[in-house]
Amino acid sequence: MKNNRLRWASISEFLEEIQTYNKIVGIAEIARRYFAMNAFDGVLTTIGVLAGNYLAGVRDLSIPIKTGVATSIAMGISGLWGAYLTETAERQRELAELEKVSLIDQTETSIGRASRFAVIVVSIVDGIAPALAAMIVLIPLFLGPVIGNAILSYGLAAGLALLCLFGLGMFLGKVSEKNLIGFGLKTLLAGLVAILINFLLGAE
Amino acid sequence: MGNLRRIVLDVLKPLEPNIVDLVRKISTASGVEGVNITIYEIDHHVENAKITVEGEQLSYQDLHDLIVENGGAVHSIDEVAAGKRTVEEVVTHQD
Repeated sequence: MKNNRLRWASISEFLEEIQTYNKIVGIAEIARRYFAMNAFDGVLTTIGVLAGNYLAGVRDLSIPIKTGVATSIAMGISGLWGAYLTETAERQRELAELEKVSLIDQTETSIGRASRFAVIVVSIVDGIAPALAAMIVLIPLFLGPVIGNAILSYGLAAGLALLCLFGLGMFLGKVSEKNLIGFGLKTLLAGLVAILINFLLGAE
Repeated sequence: MGNLRRIVLDVLKPLEPNIVDLVRKISTASGVEGVNITIYEIDHHVENAKITVEGEQLSYQDLHDLIVENGGAVHSIDEVAAGKRTVEEVVTHQD
């Protein structure tokens, strides 16, 4: 009997295995949730970093770039570690519960492997999503020398951040099969509120 | 050793992989010509299934391993048939 643990004869067999894992533990659904939630975090945190630098009068873009990159790395590590620990604990509890009712050790079954695979995928998604979102928002700052105006770079970054938020909202709208624009506007509003509060608190 | 033609198993299995996936997997096992899975009890995390497998040259060990690999536990072997042809259970007066 074929033991299919990491023994795929072809790519299609590998994809079939992944599909099976997805059916067993619903990896896509969890990864999607983590992606949206953490990318949202990433964008809003970067808005905070940029607003802080702008209000502090920083016009040397290398400073918000360094702060933003450092923040995105920290968010990535935080997401990776946090999701790994949380998902491992959650999956182990679920597996133990199943073992209790099925009276068999599930560690080496397709269910056990699907659980471990889910932990890895979800951790990677949780790590990459906020870091990637933050880096996208920072693009106008990276292009500072081309744009030639620090304030315009800040403005473009804020615009890009709001666009990302709107896109994320539309993604959530698509997931829920409801109003795409409505969801987009809700997430966009979060960005506008963050910018507004930052400016109100930072106004002299 | 005689060839196994039919095996009926009582299996306790998790809800996922579901019986559609499981029946497809079993149908591709060596020697299997046909398979039927019937659920007769569903619980919160698990379900009880009657798995009937027929073929010319079945391997009980392969079937057992495949079921365990998919998280199930074989509770009992409820019926078997072997030989040149499949012999059905005979109803007697005592039944």
